[in-house]
Amino acid sequence: MPNINPIVSYFVEQGVPLVTVTLLLMFPIIATLIAFLRQVAGIKAFGIYTPSIIIFAFLATGIKYGIALFVSVILVGMLVRILIKKFRILYLPRVAITLSIVAIAMLVLLALGGSFQRTGLAAVSIFPLLIMITLVEKFISTQIEKGDKTAFLLAVETLGIAILGYYLLKWSFLVNLIISYPWVILLTIPINIILGKWTGLRISEYFRFREVFKKMQ
Amino acid sequence: MLNFFKNGNKILGMNSRNLEYIRPCNLKRARKIADNKIFSKRFLLKGEIPVPRLIAKISSLEEIDNFDWSKLPESFVLKPNRGFGGEGILVVYGRKKNRADAWVKADGSIVSIEDIKSHIHNIIDGAFSLSNVSDIAFFEERLQLLKLFKPYTFKGIPDIRVVVYNKVPVMAMLRLPTKESQGKANLHQGAIGVGIDLATGITTTSVHNNRIIDYVPGTRMLISGIKIPYWNDILKLAVKAQEISGLGYLGADVAIDKERGPVFLELNARPGLSIQIANLDGLKRRLERVKDLKIKTIEKGVRVGMDLFGGEVEEEVEDISGKKVIGTSEKVKLIGKDGKEIEVEAKIDTGATSTSIDVELAKKLGFEDLIDFFNSIEKPVDFNRDQGKSIEDDLRKKYIGKHPDLADIVIIYSSNGVSIRPKVRTNFILDGVTVFAQANIIDRSELDKDMIIGRKSLGKFLIDVNK
Repeated sequence: MPNINPIVSYFVEQGVPLVTVTLLLMFPIIATLIAFLRQVAGIKAFGIYTPSIIIFAFLATGIKYGIALFVSVILVGMLVRILIKKFRILYLPRVAITLSIVAIAMLVLLALGGSFQRTGLAAVSIFPLLIMITLVEKFISTQIEKGDKTAFLLAVETLGIAILGYYLLKWSFLVNLIISYPWVILLTIPINIILGKWTGLRISEYFRFREVFKKMQ
Repeated sequence: MLNFFKNGNKILGMNSRNLEYIRPCNLKRARKIADNKIFSKRFLLKGEIPVPRLIAKISSLEEIDNFDWSKLPESFVLKPNRGFGGEGILVVYGRKKNRADAWVKADGSIVSIEDIKSHIHNIIDGAFSLSNVSDIAFFEERLQLLKLFKPYTFKGIPDIRVVVYNKVPVMAMLRLPTKESQGKANLHQGAIGVGIDLATGITTTSVHNNRIIDYVPGTRMLISGIKIPYWNDILKLAVKAQEISGLGYLGADVAIDKERGPVFLELNARPGLSIQIANLDGLKRRLERVKDLKIKTIEKGVRVGMDLFGGEVEEEVEDISGKKVIGTSEKVKLIGKDGKEIEVEAKIDTGATSTSIDVELAKKLGFEDLIDFFNSIEKPVDFNRDQGKSIEDDLRKKYIGKHPDLADIVIIYSSNGVSIRPKVRTNFILDGVTVFAQANIIDRSELDKDMIIGRKSLGKFLIDVNK
């Protein structure tokens, strides 16, 4: 057990669970990671909120079930879009239909998991499930605004970030560091200021403009 | 590798565009105008910039029910007022035969009033606007496709994107709708982006789905080398639009209508970065070059843009064709018999078949002896064109081989009449290329230039009459 910083132990004495304290303290690090991936690497994902909330959902479900749920939610969302495309339904009712079908599909998935003795899946609490369902709305609105291909790509990027974030939160070195020296998280502020002023090319842009580079050589 | 990152400074990335150009140059007030199509239409019209005519607008669900559908014309475009990226645009090309309540789309599918109503419903609900806020739908005039663009375009209408910064047009591209983009001119939907040489308005390289292409997909239509009409006017419109909109960093979209000429389509406060791929050049370097310039008038801005960023076309064309571009009059270095080089100004004339040099010039090149020999032989004077062929054959049989310099004997019919001329082998250097040619000798003392180069010697060149 690492030596717990007095501040952290104060929180715990006040009745805040240690897990909650750790997760809240980890949040700035996750947010900074996502900002870094966007500004420097060029990985867009669904903004900053969706990937980070999914990371926490993954913590609750475990990585295996988390990925399974994520993938099935997106697949069902895509399928429903194809199915109801020809009905020409307005935006909100369309999202409502999709969400309903996703919810039903999830229920089936949990039951299925139970019948295959995967009790871990059925025991997943309701909140991570709800988080996964809300992912669908983000996915649909992206499909409408930017097209199917982009939406799919962003979903894959979001999944990638979520997996990365999950292992970051599970990294005991980092967790111990934050419990021992919670002030470390203040470092994220100058880091984000630098990121916010970074005007260089993103790594993905070196790839995007490769033909221009070739010409310039 | 170091070089690689150095070149990275010449390319404009998303971070730099947002932080260094859009944020400081495009103030919120100006961005608001750009994001509101109906408003910017009015704004541009006030500045005497031609825009597509507004037919009608619908801003609430009640208005859909009360709308007089009979006032819609044969063809029109339905757009969301705050749409972006070309989403939510519906184009109809004509009324369905024998039906007053239906139109036909580009792909031949039928659009009924019910379909239009549902589309407007979606627009008003904000399905196509930024962050899904409630929106207004409007109908506008559909522009007519220019004949020039027809073979390159699938349905839709191509437009020209000009990035204007500090009153200088810095980069431009032609956007060609494809089948994949469903007639829309947005690159991320699958349209083709074609780089344009700013000085001449001639297209250079093309990009489709982030890949360089030479031909319109599925055809043999070469995209480079198209001369865009009204080029100067288009650039002027773009700069003028920047001036009145207050967008310091503007993506101006201009289309060309068959009857109206250049028409301003849209102000864009966040122009995309793919224009760099289409032009195979970095925007950042260009933006930095015009950053501190003080441009007073629109004409000046256009001229600066043309001067600074134009002129690549010639090399491009030379690159593509492997041929040199020359003008109608060029300096030529002739190589004489004894290796002596004489430089003359020659007329380049694709109307002439062969190359001719003046008698005096031929003498200087060392053909004096041949000229004396040729003058001494007996030649028929009075003959008509029918006899020409046999006379030519007779002379060849008799005299070729009799003098070492005599390569051939030809009868030339020109506007001054008929003449029998000797031909010699003489090489010349034109724009660095050595040409092995046969030239006939004739008295050109009355003419402006001592040498005329005809088609037979021009296989390695392309002629630009403006040069």
